[in-house]
Amino acid sequence: MDFTFTEDQLLFKESVADFLRNEITPEKIRELWDSETGRSDALWTQLAELGLTGMTVPEEFGGLGMNELDFVLLAQECGYVALPEPLVHNVLVAVPTLIACNNDKLKKQWLPKIADGSAKVSVGLEENFLVEDAHVADLLILQSGDELHAISKDAVSLRYNQSIDLSRKLYAVEWTPSAATCIASGDEGKAQIEAIMNRGALACAAQALGLAQRMIEMSVQYTSERHQFGKPIGSFQAVKHHMSNIAVRLEYAKAPVHRAAYAIANGQSTASLNVSHAKLVSTEAADLAAKNCMQVHGAMGYTWEVDLHIFMKKAWAFNSTWGDVAFHKMRVADYIFADDAPLGAGNTFLA
Amino acid sequence: MKILVAVKRVADANVKVRAKADGSAADLANVKMAINPFCEIAVEEAVRLKEKGVATEVVVVSMGDKACQEQIRTALALGADRGIHVETDVDLQPLAIAKMLKAIVDKESSELIILGKQSIDGDNNQTGQMLAALAGIPQGTFASEVVIEDGKAAVTREIDGGLQTISLSLPAVVTTDLRLNEPRYASLPNIMKAKRKPLDVVSPADLGVDPAPGVTTLKVEAPAERQAGIIVESVEELVDKLKNEAKVI
Repeated sequence: MDFTFTEDQLLFKESVADFLRNEITPEKIRELWDSETGRSDALWTQLAELGLTGMTVPEEFGGLGMNELDFVLLAQECGYVALPEPLVHNVLVAVPTLIACNNDKLKKQWLPKIADGSAKVSVGLEENFLVEDAHVADLLILQSGDELHAISKDAVSLRYNQSIDLSRKLYAVEWTPSAATCIASGDEGKAQIEAIMNRGALACAAQALGLAQRMIEMSVQYTSERHQFGKPIGSFQAVKHHMSNIAVRLEYAKAPVHRAAYAIANGQSTASLNVSHAKLVSTEAADLAAKNCMQVHGAMGYTWEVDLHIFMKKAWAFNSTWGDVAFHKMRVADYIFADDAPLGAGNTFLA
Repeated sequence: MKILVAVKRVADANVKVRAKADGSAADLANVKMAINPFCEIAVEEAVRLKEKGVATEVVVVSMGDKACQEQIRTALALGADRGIHVETDVDLQPLAIAKMLKAIVDKESSELIILGKQSIDGDNNQTGQMLAALAGIPQGTFASEVVIEDGKAAVTREIDGGLQTISLSLPAVVTTDLRLNEPRYASLPNIMKAKRKPLDVVSPADLGVDPAPGVTTLKVEAPAERQAGIIVESVEELVDKLKNEAKVI
């Protein structure tokens, strides 16, 4: 069995990484904090021109027809640069939700626009309380009990809630569900809501890997340049341990995230378990990275002037959204403590 | 009009390259490789000329081991139409490259050949000039603007102290400077399309060229590390040190 990414997937990652690392600098992120929406139309247009907004949109609607596994490495790269734009949410959460809904009119109306970058969709679950990027969404897909509703931006009123991560734009949305807006209900609604939770958690998990990687690299560079007692502080064992502990945690978090993307892409029955595992270990890695990297920066990592906090605060935000630690631990526990849990080496790759 | 663009595989410009411990060469093991930045500008210019309707085909050529095909594919993803890979394990030098390019130019009947002014690894700045001389055609080096009109190429060159605009009859060789354009990023659909574009592989022997190097590298070493500065007490002390220690005034 070949677990490696394909040549195309690696090439996409390299190409997108080049773009993101050149264009999404900490200076650009700070600039966006001061803008009215915190988002850049020009940047979104560039992302669309690169084909990113349409990655998971089916080819018949003008997209590339790719899946979650094709996008997971790109989501990591979005995390690496702390991309403020809602690209990962649109590609991994909004588009698959629209595809899954049994409503051709909605698909025809919105999927081509998402692919060409002229529309954005935000998906909100009650578990999250707040909706990401509702202020720039042209369409909102919102949960009401076991139902999902598709609501036009004109039919909602928004109240801004500040996040610890200034790049995250969170809104409390006031709206009224009706039969006309309902796109899924009952068992179908429940299944879709679980699928949305899985996709949102996967989006956080993949970006958390990128955030942890970035924080390590920033800290390795800093500890190589900062001298004390005539040596770079990175040469001292206590500092090395801080860094290597993150690197080990991060390395072991990658496979579960990729496994979760594979499970979702292939509609496997273990997807919820795989996603919860992935979110737990990847956000743990990012959380440890935030803690240790701040330590090796001598605590000034928390100051406004040092860019580390851009990545650190996003990692904290990801930790508690799309299901917090308790939520995901409970899902893993429900699976492994079940009387008929298919555990053991023979069931490792159970579909 | 057919445009030929040469691209070189080099260490990525953002990578800090180290010399090998024995000083024989730069250590490129596990180093990220990319298209030479000046060659990328050459590809972009050719693609823009095609988009303007000036060129009908953009052919990209690279020389070296099999890994060079990665850079050819990248150029194809940026908009080139066809690739040619001259496969060889020999460490190629500008004269051999220019001779092989000359053979390809003759075969392809290219009217415009665009190259980077130099590669960021060899820093030779010779291949374009040698190619023009071998082919007996005009050259416009260090181009910051290229306009094709009435069968001629108007090339604005960046020279010491200003700009010089020259007119070249075609076919001609143009080498690119940094400010000619800003290369685009390859889009995902174009990366996928690039895999289906034709890529021919030939050998130096097919082109009738012996690629054996004429220059031997004796030693490669990193630049001397910058020494820490000192704080002087007064302007007089600074002037004294500049005059008597640094001997720069």
